[in-house]
Amino acid sequence: MLRTENLFLSYGEKPAVQDVSLEIPEGGITCLIGPNGSGKSTLLKSFAGLLSPLSGQAFLDGRPVTDWNRRKLALRLAMLPQKPIVPDGIRVRDLVALGRFPHRKWWQGNCASDDDATAEAMAMTGVLELAERPVQSLSGGQQQRAWIAMALAQGTDILLLDEPTTFLDWGYQLEVLELLSSLNRRYGMSVVMSLHDLNQAAQFADRIAILADGQLQAIGSPQQVITETLIDAVFRVRTTVTVGSDGRPFCSGASTSVSTAPAIIH
Amino acid sequence: MTQPAPRYSRQDYHRLSVSGLTPVAKLVIAGALCLALVLLGGIQTGAVNLTWPEIWHGLAGEGSQHVQRVVLEVRLPRTLTGALIGVHFALSGWLLQLLSRNPLAEPGILGISAGASLVAVIAFILGDWLVSSDNPYSNTSFALQNLPVFAMAGGLVTAAAVYVLGLRHGNMSPVKMTLTGAVIAGMLHALTTGALAFWGHAHTELVAQWLAGSLYGAQWHHLHTLWPWTLAGLVGIALLLRPLKVMQLEDQQARSMGLHLNRWRGFALLIATLLAASAVGIVGPVGFIGLLIPHISRQLAGTNFPLQMTLCVFLGATLAVLADVIGRTLFAPYEVPVGVVSAILGVPFFLYLLSRQP
Repeated sequence: MLRTENLFLSYGEKPAVQDVSLEIPEGGITCLIGPNGSGKSTLLKSFAGLLSPLSGQAFLDGRPVTDWNRRKLALRLAMLPQKPIVPDGIRVRDLVALGRFPHRKWWQGNCASDDDATAEAMAMTGVLELAERPVQSLSGGQQQRAWIAMALAQGTDILLLDEPTTFLDWGYQLEVLELLSSLNRRYGMSVVMSLHDLNQAAQFADRIAILADGQLQAIGSPQQVITETLIDAVFRVRTTVTVGSDGRPFCSGASTSVSTAPAIIH
Repeated sequence: MTQPAPRYSRQDYHRLSVSGLTPVAKLVIAGALCLALVLLGGIQTGAVNLTWPEIWHGLAGEGSQHVQRVVLEVRLPRTLTGALIGVHFALSGWLLQLLSRNPLAEPGILGISAGASLVAVIAFILGDWLVSSDNPYSNTSFALQNLPVFAMAGGLVTAAAVYVLGLRHGNMSPVKMTLTGAVIAGMLHALTTGALAFWGHAHTELVAQWLAGSLYGAQWHHLHTLWPWTLAGLVGIALLLRPLKVMQLEDQQARSMGLHLNRWRGFALLIATLLAASAVGIVGPVGFIGLLIPHISRQLAGTNFPLQMTLCVFLGATLAVLADVIGRTLFAPYEVPVGVVSAILGVPFFLYLLSRQP
């Protein structure tokens, strides 16, 4: 499915991703984790074909994503940015219906099958009864579900999400992650997302890629990559990693390992 | 995740997608009625008192020469030109507010009005220099006749410059574009004022009238210059309706949905610029219609883009014609320019709408 080979990306002069080669398997939940500025978002954008690589390539189904026709690519993968802009006054149903854009030519309107797909996407994310409400009047968690519904209405089997939990409180964070997890289990959607919380990543991901300074530090199952040494090396945090009853690793007792640095906890 | 019992079913969703047409129809009919009324008012009012039967005969090409001249050669072209420039400014402002994500955007934002004004003033001055006779009107007649072309060229060049300077890493940045437009417009305004001061003749009042936005002396040939652009603008916007919805989203999200963002944005800006620049060429900069009417249309139409666009057409034309009628009757035989009256008329209504906003 998605694969990168010696990928280098940059914003202007500053290199953002350096020499990343990884593979994202189909039908799983993959989490990208790493400190701020480690290149998680940049990598996600390159998967969506939004950035041209300096060198190397990102491939979807064996073809460089930048070679894909934009509309065809939009039928294979949907992307949710970290801070999406809510169009002024838009109702949930109209927002979700925007997801049908790549399914029609630009001069065509939405038809009955689009309405069905829109209603289906809203039912899947539990926002059907909020359909007539303005998105701006919803809670953070409801808004995020509406955005996910829009991505689902796009009808892709790959979902790319840039920190989908960042602006939500703890309860809504879990709600969104559980929703994504159930979409993955029930419909076999491939989910690729960046997260800040190691324990949430460990709990929900099938595969975790750890990035630091634009370079891939490790990739593998949560058990393989969530280790005390790796976390210390990447985040400068000392933790105790235990294994929970579900067999997934869990970090606790965190303290910064560099005493001279100001304690910045992300 | 536990799904709540759906109180709102899919049948509701589909049912509601059909209902809600009635208020739309009401708004469209109301808008069309407003326009029809002011158009009639525009033809009926003026320095010469005419009765409706007289006007009717005049329109049909009967009756006295004098009545025919007043109706067919003076009032009708002036009223229709006013209606079209209202449409132009309203649609242009509507597009620019959407594109720049800036509710204060209007055709002035890209420096369109300022660029058009400067080139028009330069044309006046050059005309005065090159053809120096004693009659100031014949000196400026070349500039006056070709004003639409000059002003449009000025507007287009300025908008293109603002667009290119407002790019950020090859993508349009609404904030950078708005700031660039404001700065360039400021500079061009200064140059215009400077040029006028330098010219310093009695006939600056001709230019001053144009700069205030006036329909004085609007003729059929003005209308003929204008309507092809109106048509092009309407067709362009109709093509843009679907992409415009997606363009409201964050740039990268819009692109990830398969939209060729830069291409569509460029096209939308071109349409907005053509509409505004062609209208500025005829009446001078009338900024307020482009600011007010899109707001009012959005307030009335909600998020329904085709309805917003339709209301912009009707209400833009209505405000421009109404402002012109009031401007030429209130202090007759003196005229208050349409730009001034439309601002004075529109602002209280605008403030009223703002105060009703939740």
